[in-house]
Amino acid sequence: MSTTTAAHHDDHGHESHGHPTGLMRWVKSTNHKDIGTMYLWFSFAMFMFAGALAMGIRAELFQPGLQFVQPDVFNQLTTLHGLIMIFGAIMPAFVGFANWQVPLMIGAPDMAFPRLNNMSFWLLIPAAILLLASFFVPGGAASGGWTMYPPLSVQGGMSVDMSIFALHILGVSSIVGSINIITTIFNMRAPGMTLMKMPMFVWTWLITAYLLIAAMPVLAGALTMLITDRHFGTTFFNAAGGGDPVLFQHVFWFFGHPEVYIMILPAFGILSTIIPTFARKPLFGYASMVYATAAIAVLSFVVWAHHMFTTGMPVAGQLFFMYSTMLISVPTGVKVFNWLATMWKGSMTFETPMLFSVAVVFLFTIGGLTGLVCAILPVDIQLQDTYYVVAHFHYVLFSGAAMSIMGGVYYWLPKWTGHMYDEKLGKWHFWTTTIAFNVTFFPMHFTGLAGMPRRIPDYSQQFAEFNMISSVGAFALGISQLLFLYVVIKCIRGGTKATNQVWEGAHGLEWTVASPAPFHTFETPPQVK
Amino acid sequence: MVVSEIDAYNSFKVTFKPNSVLSAASKQKVVILLTVIPCVIGIAFCLLGAWLVLPFVGLEIAALAYAFYYVNQHETDYESISIDADSLMVERCVGETVSQQVINPYWVKVVQHELPNGELHLYLQSHGKEIEIGRYLTRKQRELLAGQLKQRTGILNKG
Repeated sequence: MSTTTAAHHDDHGHESHGHPTGLMRWVKSTNHKDIGTMYLWFSFAMFMFAGALAMGIRAELFQPGLQFVQPDVFNQLTTLHGLIMIFGAIMPAFVGFANWQVPLMIGAPDMAFPRLNNMSFWLLIPAAILLLASFFVPGGAASGGWTMYPPLSVQGGMSVDMSIFALHILGVSSIVGSINIITTIFNMRAPGMTLMKMPMFVWTWLITAYLLIAAMPVLAGALTMLITDRHFGTTFFNAAGGGDPVLFQHVFWFFGHPEVYIMILPAFGILSTIIPTFARKPLFGYASMVYATAAIAVLSFVVWAHHMFTTGMPVAGQLFFMYSTMLISVPTGVKVFNWLATMWKGSMTFETPMLFSVAVVFLFTIGGLTGLVCAILPVDIQLQDTYYVVAHFHYVLFSGAAMSIMGGVYYWLPKWTGHMYDEKLGKWHFWTTTIAFNVTFFPMHFTGLAGMPRRIPDYSQQFAEFNMISSVGAFALGISQLLFLYVVIKCIRGGTKATNQVWEGAHGLEWTVASPAPFHTFETPPQVK
Repeated sequence: MVVSEIDAYNSFKVTFKPNSVLSAASKQKVVILLTVIPCVIGIAFCLLGAWLVLPFVGLEIAALAYAFYYVNQHETDYESISIDADSLMVERCVGETVSQQVINPYWVKVVQHELPNGELHLYLQSHGKEIEIGRYLTRKQRELLAGQLKQRTGILNKG
């Protein structure tokens, strides 16, 4: 008997599963990296489409009066902008990150259910087609707002059915994806990778997946009741038959508020990964970050009615939801404090991912602060449905979620492509995005405080200047995303070869594999110390 | 993960199991923990009149429980290699399927293939047959196994 070592035999017959090529590689892929890539491209396409709808909104609002679209079309633009950005852009982007990074970070060879993973992705396509095609059916796309409140959603045309069906499909995709992520994290961690050794990004995704598990059936139930009200003679929400439209708001926001955290917790995970890397210090207060994430998740289920302060609920209820909402600022504050403490006295450098992260910490805190303002009951009654709320949630969802995604893409792009991106262009993208974002949304605080209502295509002359500034900012924001696309494509096509570790201060299993990450990784489980 | 090694006179048996993060009991606890709150939510909405939330909660819980059940099916997977005077047997259990491959220990060669990504794969080659072994082991454990097999068959050869 003899023992021999044959190095570099990647092309011999022992490779039990080769590297598929061509179109079928993507259609039939069960590889977590390929599926992650598809999720990210899909989300970017949806981001650009929903962004184009926003350009339409801002073009109309550039001046008072009706310029380009009729009020009904304007409402269609706002509705589909919201639906597509939330369900088509932000959520799939984070699922793309989860697909790429979770197995790499926990030392697993793939997701627990690769075929289901493939199905989760491909379900997005018919859902997207339904949403986009709804513009072309009689009556146009759904126009009652992304929240689909009755009675408008009960009375709307065929496009409402298409939107409901699309959301159902997206819900199935999310639930299947969540089950996959939870099963993967609980069962496929490498030896030695205990729960409290998991990277924060994995923790935030575990908690996000749990939020999805808890919240998605509520959305599914609400949508089904809506469709039975529309077509099968039930009157859950139809006041004409004794139903209660406010019940829909309760059911919807019971899903909708956790949904906000579904879109922000993975962003927190990305920040908690990037900041220690470029501060060259371990994350400050890892355990408190985990508990703060869990606390945010729990609290997200007991604050939903702060979206409904003007529906006429009892004072005791209003007070409960006001205080519970304010309570969320405590664990969120813990996180912001920990990020600042991580940066404190660190050997900081400001590459593009770090620039995005620092900006997110600052701008998300503004969004959190305006959220606290909205939580104050008497103030919210004044601000309800004004542009102040639009400014608030864009500070949370664009500068919180979307800019974290951009930072995350720059951070892991060398690992995904094997090339360093163009740092100079990356910084240009950062500065144009950040400045344009603030030019767009900061004036909305003022227009909102002055009383300009949202979802209205025309407005009083007094709001003209601020709206003009917002529109100019929005066009700049839209154009700067083309630069993002260019930087990513340039990086995919070539550039300086990335090392395995890529970033000097990066730690974790994903940095132990080659760049670009091989098609198969961790088929042999690594030992975590 | 190496779970047993019997080193009796002139015989050798070693069994490997896949890395198992959670025991079956822990998996049950996790599933219960994950499903309690969705159940409470579904029942609460049912009592408020929005009863259509509950069937979706049920469907989802069933899917989650089945996912953990499916993973648990592979809890009993193992790979064992036993060597005695006349035979070297590789026994593998995947799911509920047990397969055995027997080769002559005097005509076997252990081959280590190192891939460009640093992974090391172990194979037993004999009479044109090739069996991959040590799939559940880390690189270091595979190297140890290769050395151990060499040593063991060395004893046999001497005998």
